Amino acid sequence: MNTVKKTLFRGLIVLVALCAFGISAIAQDDLPQLIYIYPGTQQPDHDLVQAAVNEYLAEAIGATIEMRPIDWGAYNDQIGLINASGEQYDIAFTAPWINNYYSNITEEYFIPLEDLLQEHAPEYWASMTPETWEAARVGGHIYGAINQQIFVKPFGPYISTEVLEAIGMVDEFNAITSYSDLDPIMEAVQAYADEDEILTHATYNLAPLLNAENWNYDPIGNGLVVDTSNPVPEVLIFSETDAYREAAQMIRDWYEAGYAPSDIALWAEQDAAWQAEQYAVRVSDLVKPGGDAEIQARWGIATTSVAIAEPVLTTAGVIATLNGVSYTSEHPELAVQFLGLLNTDPVFYNLFSKGIEGTHWEWADEESLLIQPANGAGSFGDTGYAPNTDWMFGNVFNSYYTDPTQVGAWTATAELNRNARPSPILGFTFDGSEVETEIASVSAVLQEYGDPLGSGLVDVDEGITTLNQALQDAGIETIRAEVQRQIDEWLASNN
Amino acid sequence: MAINTKKIREARRLNNDRLLSFIGRFSIHIALIIFSLCCLIPLILVISASFTDEITLTREGYHLLPAEFSTEAYELIFDNPTAIVRAYGVTIFTTLVGTTIALSLMALLAYPLSRPDFVLRKPLSFFVFFTMLFNGGLVPYYILMTQYLHVQDTVFALLLPYFVVVFYVLILRTYFAALPSELIDAARVDGAGEFRIFISIALPLAKPALATIGLFTALNYWNDWTTALYFIRDADLYPLQYLLYIIQSNAQAMQLQSTVGTINMGPVPTQTARMAMAVLATGPAAIFFLFFQKYLIRGVTLGAFK
Repeated sequence: MNTVKKTLFRGLIVLVALCAFGISAIAQDDLPQLIYIYPGTQQPDHDLVQAAVNEYLAEAIGATIEMRPIDWGAYNDQIGLINASGEQYDIAFTAPWINNYYSNITEEYFIPLEDLLQEHAPEYWASMTPETWEAARVGGHIYGAINQQIFVKPFGPYISTEVLEAIGMVDEFNAITSYSDLDPIMEAVQAYADEDEILTHATYNLAPLLNAENWNYDPIGNGLVVDTSNPVPEVLIFSETDAYREAAQMIRDWYEAGYAPSDIALWAEQDAAWQAEQYAVRVSDLVKPGGDAEIQARWGIATTSVAIAEPVLTTAGVIATLNGVSYTSEHPELAVQFLGLLNTDPVFYNLFSKGIEGTHWEWADEESLLIQPANGAGSFGDTGYAPNTDWMFGNVFNSYYTDPTQVGAWTATAELNRNARPSPILGFTFDGSEVETEIASVSAVLQEYGDPLGSGLVDVDEGITTLNQALQDAGIETIRAEVQRQIDEWLASNN
Repeated sequence: MAINTKKIREARRLNNDRLLSFIGRFSIHIALIIFSLCCLIPLILVISASFTDEITLTREGYHLLPAEFSTEAYELIFDNPTAIVRAYGVTIFTTLVGTTIALSLMALLAYPLSRPDFVLRKPLSFFVFFTMLFNGGLVPYYILMTQYLHVQDTVFALLLPYFVVVFYVLILRTYFAALPSELIDAARVDGAGEFRIFISIALPLAKPALATIGLFTALNYWNDWTTALYFIRDADLYPLQYLLYIIQSNAQAMQLQSTVGTINMGPVPTQTARMAMAVLATGPAAIFFLFFQKYLIRGVTLGAFK
């Protein structure tokens, strides 16, 4: 009965919305229409939200928008074809990891935004520091509108609270300041795991310990890093640093002590094993405000975490989520206004990313900006509109909290971003076109000799010596020199 | 006495022969059984995994029989079965309609090309053959489909690409060309027009070739997912294979996203749900194949004697 009512009710809303749309359509018809393409699964109530978004947008900037989600698995292919064929659209989601930001710039698929942003979205432009905007600058221009989210990468261990309490080392864990402090805890967890029926290992995947960010280095790719504590950016080969040796030794020791499964093929299954509670420590993960709550919400496992790496503002961290404006856009100024609205107007942003109030969500506690699924739905996924990708559309610090334990996390994250030390090469991007051959050989070497070190399969001294020799033979010195030259040039042109 | 010994020896030899042939047959059977098991066991593992409880699957691994029976994965899928049912509908529709149209078009093109007395035979053959050696590539293909034909997000996008496959046209042409020209002359003497000859003489005689090409075309349509990857955004038009691809690759993209360390993720399909999806997508097709395989095999071999 209840479901029938709900369906009827929903149908009624659709009808009303359609009527409203029909009436306003006459007015909206004359307005320019933008097209926004982004990865995501089609939502059942997509049309409903789009109508509401258009109504809001027509009034705010005098335009309408077609929201065009493309399935995650098809996004790279379809946006690539759309760009190459010159099909008209206005805005697309881009990042170094999907719809590659840098290739889009090389191919001239995006237009420079710095002037447009300052002119048509001044509030948005002012919401981030100039250094932050610098991170998106490539070859003198900013081609991507940055979505604020967690920019810094304070890595550290997560541990299941239940296990931590069982071994009675809560204080010891909270007091750790380096990965070596984790050693006695790992030992205790493994001893506990040996007795426990479900828990098989202390941890699963050790390789993240070799992430340069863990040791306060800013990675430039190809095994090269810059020491973030050194104000003069000097390009180093990561595997020649003491930090690398320390990390590799730690991995080797823990691997030999049996803290991780000896079959490293299993490491790929770390999420499934985590859900099945087969291990208790994620050695190196992003420790952020609300991080424990997020894990609790996703897997139902209570965790405790401590950040070990210093929060450093790096290029990669800042430009992890961007929106670009297409060269085929007929109304770039409107597109930028739209992006400005999405990044500064919480009401519009939440309408876009969370749906319509009363239909998809309702206030649980308006004062603390906490919302809950509307009309008694069990989860947001059941409400008909939950793309669940707030970070794709705009400033996540404007998004409403969906979980009571999350409340306050945005303020804390924003604080973390603001107080982070900028990397000496924040805003620098390496152009590898001059040394492509060397890059190819180096990446093959890193895979062949670096990965075994990351999984603790080889003796550290021997492994590192072989790796460094192979890297030299592959021509890493040429790449290093080229990166250094580009950084020096970049520094000179910036001052 | 002598005869007796001879008989006994004979019988022994026969026994030996029988034993040998038994061993021979036995070893062949064993080899075939092992081979069938190699094919069957992965299938059984997938079915069993789809009926296993998610967490048990991780803890205990894959078993031939579910370690802990659960229909959770299927409940999850049948909670919203429209996607898979629709995908089946789309695939069956494109396969039936597409194969019919494609066969008619290719036969209509191949037959004139096979007739030596056709005036435009050479230029038209070249025109057709040329596209086999040179093509514009992906981007011009995309531009043609979306900006000139405007078929993106319609069922035509799924149908068009396989209407004329040049290689199949060449096979058909060769087959038509081998038909004795006296037959055609005789039909003409009897007063048949060109179209009549094509329908009543050429087509029935080319049945084996048509069956083969029809089968290949049907398989093309059934297995096609790249066309949908390029041209279909509307989830209602996803063909079956593409739906499977999307489910898998969405899960991978979600994982990629989590390594980037951004905020919360959408629901990642669980291992068991993915297995259940695979069972639902391949199951009916496999059963269909069991019943029709003799026709399919006959279709393939029919063309072979030519």
